[in-house]
Amino acid sequence: MMKNGFLFFAGLFAAFAFGWAGIALGSHRQLGALAPYHDDSEGSSFPSRPPGLAARGQLVYADLGCASCHTQQVRRPDFGSDKDRGWGERQSVARDYIYQVRPQLGNSRTGPDLANLSGRKAPFDAAELTVFLYTGILPGGKVLSHPPFKFLFDDAVVVGETSAYALVLPPSLAPAAGRQIVPTERARTLVSYLQSLNTPYEFPEARPVTPAVAQKEGAHK
Amino acid sequence: MSSPSTHAEVTAADTAGRWPLLLLFASGLVWLVVSGVLALVASIQLHSPAFLADCAWFTHGRVTALVETTFVYGWCANAGVGIALWVLGRLGGSPLRALNWAVVGTLFWNAAIALGLIGIATGDATSFSLLQMPGYVQPLLVAAYVAMSVSGILAWNGRRTDGTFASQWYAVAALFIFPWLLVAAQAMLVWSPVRGVLQAVVDGWYVQSVLSLWLAPLALAGAYYVVPKATGRALPSYEFAPLAFWTLLFVGSFSGGRHLIGGPVPAWLPTLANAACWMLLFHFSVVALNLRGVFSRGGTAFKFISFGLSAYVLGSLLDAMTSFRGVALITQFTYFATAQQQLALYGGISMLFFGSIYFAMPRLTGRSWASGALVRGHAALTILGVLLLVVSLAVAGWIQGHDLNNAKIAYAELSAHTRPWLLVVTAAYSILLFGNLLLFVNFILSVCSACCVRSDNLPDSSSFRQPSAMEVPAL
Amino acid sequence: MSTPSNQDPRLDQAAASDESLLASHEKLLGTQPDEKARYKLVPLTLLFFFSGLIFFAGTYLNRYSGLFDPHIYNENSLPTTGAAVAVKIDPLVLGKKQYEAVCITCHQATGLGQPGVFPPLAGSEWVNGSDDRLIRVVVYGLQGPIKVMGVDYNGAAMPAIGKVAGSGFNLSDEKIAAVLTYIRQQWGNSTAAITTEQVAAVRSKDGDRKAYTAAELLK
Repeated sequence: MMKNGFLFFAGLFAAFAFGWAGIALGSHRQLGALAPYHDDSEGSSFPSRPPGLAARGQLVYADLGCASCHTQQVRRPDFGSDKDRGWGERQSVARDYIYQVRPQLGNSRTGPDLANLSGRKAPFDAAELTVFLYTGILPGGKVLSHPPFKFLFDDAVVVGETSAYALVLPPSLAPAAGRQIVPTERARTLVSYLQSLNTPYEFPEARPVTPAVAQKEGAHK
Repeated sequence: MSSPSTHAEVTAADTAGRWPLLLLFASGLVWLVVSGVLALVASIQLHSPAFLADCAWFTHGRVTALVETTFVYGWCANAGVGIALWVLGRLGGSPLRALNWAVVGTLFWNAAIALGLIGIATGDATSFSLLQMPGYVQPLLVAAYVAMSVSGILAWNGRRTDGTFASQWYAVAALFIFPWLLVAAQAMLVWSPVRGVLQAVVDGWYVQSVLSLWLAPLALAGAYYVVPKATGRALPSYEFAPLAFWTLLFVGSFSGGRHLIGGPVPAWLPTLANAACWMLLFHFSVVALNLRGVFSRGGTAFKFISFGLSAYVLGSLLDAMTSFRGVALITQFTYFATAQQQLALYGGISMLFFGSIYFAMPRLTGRSWASGALVRGHAALTILGVLLLVVSLAVAGWIQGHDLNNAKIAYAELSAHTRPWLLVVTAAYSILLFGNLLLFVNFILSVCSACCVRSDNLPDSSSFRQPSAMEVPAL
Repeated sequence: MSTPSNQDPRLDQAAASDESLLASHEKLLGTQPDEKARYKLVPLTLLFFFSGLIFFAGTYLNRYSGLFDPHIYNENSLPTTGAAVAVKIDPLVLGKKQYEAVCITCHQATGLGQPGVFPPLAGSEWVNGSDDRLIRVVVYGLQGPIKVMGVDYNGAAMPAIGKVAGSGFNLSDEKIAAVLTYIRQQWGNSTAAITTEQVAAVRSKDGDRKAYTAAELLK
């Protein structure tokens, strides 16, 4: 095989195609046509489509590379502390992402998971999130816990009335008199995206495996 | 000993390929230094989040994307293709053909990367790991890569002897498979993106394939050539090399899904990846057995190759260990995973590249490296840097993983626990950057010294010993 | 092979020519592990190792792959065979969720309401009394004065919660049943559960209508 030129190249191509078919095509065949789940008792389907502003915000999230520090995938309650940290009651499943143009699963938790950011017990409101992006300081906090994204904001002269979007900042960070900090459109779409992140509905496949089933599994061994 | 005329160590094949291959190595080294600077920036931001935060171009997410792009597509691709072409040329037995293509390909490849980096910095990144460069440079990458590899494929097809050697298989595999990988990944992620989590699955497959079907074969192509060449002994257990080769190619790309353990994908994907991880241990043990001669002798190239080989094998063991869900529970999503990646890319693949480049350069320029002190300095700093980097990242990751699994520990406290180790990471990146600058300076000096002497004085035949015939082990 | 001093870091000498390297390895590839019927240790160990890995990987795959089912996310579970087993949701859990989302603002987490404004649920004869009456109050809402546990309340109207015209909540029958079951088991109450079918029956009997008054319900 090593000497026969044709066979060798055919083998190389087969090696590439084997992995590609096994993983990319195999999973595509299973998940490519995943439909939303219709719940009769709720009378609606889940997940719902993100609002347009949020869909645009996801592209801002993507191009800033937020996924290099934040995951958006909650692990099941008995695997890690995701539930205890309040990141989500259930594990994320493929169906959660079907309407996302560019899912940001991420692979690093330098920062907390964001899959269910606005569905947490005490979520940030839009104003808090916007200020946080500007200052990098958590509401009520004192230290920098996030890089401040000042480039997403305009430091503008107040002409006439203050902008309706202008940030309300603590005195130590407030702009000079006669100036205001106004979020750019990118900042507003990003905040709207972060606000749209929640996974309220528990899909059947996301429910925890009941102990009875798990025990039966144990017997399988 | 054979007559010098037939077995001269520096041949017409080397002199013909000199400038195109030096261009590849030089581009690789430039990107290595650029990537080192960016990696330093990114690592500083991990413990001092305000560093360069006001500048959109250098926001942490984008710098991370720039680092991996410059490192893999800038340094590894240029250096690896250079090594593959050189090995195929020498073992093919005649001067490389179609080198114009290689030169044009290299220029376009590097132009595409430069353009891609500007794209990432200005906000056009795709956000796919290892496929960050924006859609508008992707086709150029494919075309440029094909142009670069033509010489290698021609050298393989036109080889003088019928027999083949492991170096050639790995080199041809890397040259031939990568364009397919790139096109398949682009099609499924950039041009006609698959839905939802499938994007993460396909990207995971691509990232693993880049490592297993492209970078690792490029690195092994060099190592499999240099080791028997410099020891003068045939490789032990060589009859298993073909099986190890095909194991890597067929199983390698399956092991990427282990990063999705516990994630929103059906359980079989990570399970299959874990099984593949264990199967791959066969490949790694055969490579270790084949190349074990590298530990028996000294020399610059062997210093790097022995380190690289150890890291390559150790990395695979770590991958297999952390693929168990109980261990992944701690290491997943932490700096430990970064440590594993750096162990593979820096400790394994790059160190093997360095070794091959140290061996190849004198044969291309016809003279020894310009400075022995710079060689020693580079070796010492790189080995120290990689060890420090991997160990501190691994410790930071282990602490981070334990803290993350304890919901009572808040993020602020967690950062305080990992901060000392992240400072060590920054120190390690500084050491690596400095070491690589030494290599870069030495490279420039060596090329200049080759340029400055009259060409009929090349190669400096007095410094190259005539090699003897290889010892064949008694059966 | 001569072993010359190779200490110049600037140049690694070659110890074998390319031609001999190719030739000798080509020769090695042609050999068999059992050359001259003498099995050697290394090849044998490697073959055992390889088989062991295949065996381990296969077993692992069989055990944790969930039979390659796209809906299995926990590697310890197996796909349900035959008729899909509907996972039964505990009405108390579902009901608590509904209570906390809808009712808690007025009736409070304690179920005691607010004196003089919102009537209590704990111990209330309305909650622990007739099934249909309770369903009607919650599905359609209640207007006007009401007497609960001997105290008159005239402060606020109870909005329609069920899936009826003019409802701001549109909770499904299942959720109404769940929340009613929940309040009937809390705060010392212990009355029988209310089923989804009961709620559906009331809703289909009464059709679309405006909120009830206490007088109407007590008729």
